[in-house]
Amino acid sequence: MIPINANTKIGTLLKLHPDALETIVSISPKFTKLRNPILRKVIAARTSIAMASKLSGCNIDDFFNKLQPLGFDIDTTTIIEIEKGQDNKPAPDFMKNISADKIFQLDVRPIIETGKDPLNVIMESIKTLKQGFILKIINSFEPTPLILLLSKRGFESYTETISDELVNTYFYNNVNAFMVADNKESDHSAAWDEILKRFAGKTKTVDVRQLEMPLPMHAILEALATLPIDNALFVYHKRIPVFLLPELEEQQFSYRIKEISGAEVHLLIYKD
Amino acid sequence: MFTTIGNTDTSTTTSWKVVLPFYAYAAIAFLVACLLLLLSAGDFTGHYFHPHTLAITHIMALGWGTMMILGASHQLVPVLIESKLYSNVLAYISFASAAIGIPFLVHGFYVFDVGLHTQCGGILVIVAIISFLINLAVSMVKSKYENVHAFFIFTATLWLLTTAIVGLLLLYNFSFSVMPKNSLDYLPLHAHIGIVGWFLLLVIGVGSRLIPMFLISKYNNTRQLWWIYGLINGGLLAFVSAFLYTANKSLLTIPLLAVGTAIILFGDFCIRSYRQRIRKKVDEQMKVSLLSILMMLLPLLSLAIIITLLIFTIKENISLVLGYGFIIFFGWITAIILGMTFKTLPFIVWNKVYHHLAGKGKMPNPKDLFNNTIFKWMSIAYILGFVLFTTGILIHSIPVLQIAAALLFVTSLLYNWNVIKLLLHKPAMS
Repeated sequence: MIPINANTKIGTLLKLHPDALETIVSISPKFTKLRNPILRKVIAARTSIAMASKLSGCNIDDFFNKLQPLGFDIDTTTIIEIEKGQDNKPAPDFMKNISADKIFQLDVRPIIETGKDPLNVIMESIKTLKQGFILKIINSFEPTPLILLLSKRGFESYTETISDELVNTYFYNNVNAFMVADNKESDHSAAWDEILKRFAGKTKTVDVRQLEMPLPMHAILEALATLPIDNALFVYHKRIPVFLLPELEEQQFSYRIKEISGAEVHLLIYKD
Repeated sequence: MFTTIGNTDTSTTTSWKVVLPFYAYAAIAFLVACLLLLLSAGDFTGHYFHPHTLAITHIMALGWGTMMILGASHQLVPVLIESKLYSNVLAYISFASAAIGIPFLVHGFYVFDVGLHTQCGGILVIVAIISFLINLAVSMVKSKYENVHAFFIFTATLWLLTTAIVGLLLLYNFSFSVMPKNSLDYLPLHAHIGIVGWFLLLVIGVGSRLIPMFLISKYNNTRQLWWIYGLINGGLLAFVSAFLYTANKSLLTIPLLAVGTAIILFGDFCIRSYRQRIRKKVDEQMKVSLLSILMMLLPLLSLAIIITLLIFTIKENISLVLGYGFIIFFGWITAIILGMTFKTLPFIVWNKVYHHLAGKGKMPNPKDLFNNTIFKWMSIAYILGFVLFTTGILIHSIPVLQIAAALLFVTSLLYNWNVIKLLLHKPAMS
């Protein structure tokens, strides 16, 4: 028996049981997209049962009823991690006061038709989106994973369902300019978690919390001198080492900082 | 009482709210001092015991030098002793009483009415110093780290308190004759306890920590620093005894040699630090700061000449003494601050504006928060103004003094421009 709940990702189901794909497709014709291997890989991994049921317009129980015979153990007590009832939401303030010239449109349906993941294209557009502007995504379903991803970065969103095959989602950039990318290849706007993920398994660690000034800086620079090119250095520090930052810039290192508390700071230093 | 005003914050980073007012005040004081210098350039052809000269000296020493050092120390000491600043309240008291006291004192000198309001100004300055001293002492006692640099700062603050108390006695001496001689006779004592005990000891104590840090140098020599500490304090005590208990001018060479040796040792410390640096490129701010260390040799040289003349001619050379004072306050101390402001303030502002945004994405570089072109022009105006003004004092030329004062005023405007730009910095597009 494999336990599943509303927050289990579709991708997990597909991995766990070879017949899960056809079973899910039989729930709603909307899920025929999942037969496309590329789409299956990218969307299924980010979509939970709760999200899938929401965007297909069916009930979570429909999923559970169909999946139970395959040997999944259903846990219905888990709290669903997405908001319910967004369909009837009134338009938020940012939608009311925006002029048409501040809305950029991106139709991702052709990308999905060709079996590609539109996420990179969307993120590119998001990066160039100036503060106070809106990115309008045209899709055939509500991109719930994307809404969650961007809300973590401080974007407000609003979804209007025009028909079963046409859903417009508006993302409003009300965050500060560090989200705005420059023309370099590297992803400057990537936040801590993404960078951490990018270097998963390729991270060297150094702990300078017990060192007296100015030894932390020397220890970090020494560790960086022997850091393999595609690795990141994870630093445990007592404070943000402000005097190190220009030196990192000088040596063309990028860095991300995470303040845990007033007396604990983590740093990630890497080369793009 | 001490339990109620201590910090509860666990961080060793002092709040910018404590530090930035000192920087802002110092910048404005420098502007006012340069403006007064421009208005009274002609007075620098006469005697140094002149109301305007006294006023300018005290803005420079207290409003510019001391306020800046107090601000930077509140930030730096917790980092040195690896524990937090004991009390923000004491820091605010220290700022407020100095900020109110200094204008009273300076105005009193300028109009030469050394009555009650000038004395109150002096008392407020002493209150500010005592608040800082208590804050420093409790922070150090609570810390488990002993640190040579913190000792320098603490001892220097004791000398500052001594300077201020002597100064206040001299002030009362104008009205009530509390001392056996004229106030003018005690001026060298008051001035040198301040210059050597406060400024020199502090600059070496802080500089020996910051210079290797900014150059990213592995050089450190605590023993050498303790030698410097001993030479300066010993030299200063020798000077005070020689000054108070003998009339023998040749004895003054002993403290001069001791302090001179200390400065040369510190110069050696800096050179070694420079040679062992990891950062090969030295930026403009560091160049100005390193220049200020070379400038320490100028007052030594002029002092040696003054003392030599004293021994052989019994009469002091007025314009040399005036030049000596100018070189110290507008040369050495100002050069240090001009350079070091932009090696410290951008980082304090960066921390204030960006620390909670730091995980989100790419941040601007702290050194990009001020304008380096303005800094370069400021340095040029400063060096020209300083050299010309010193020349003007020595050759008694009012036009040269006025042109030089105008250049120094431009320096202070450009300095303030960059400081204001920093203080008003908002999160920017990267």
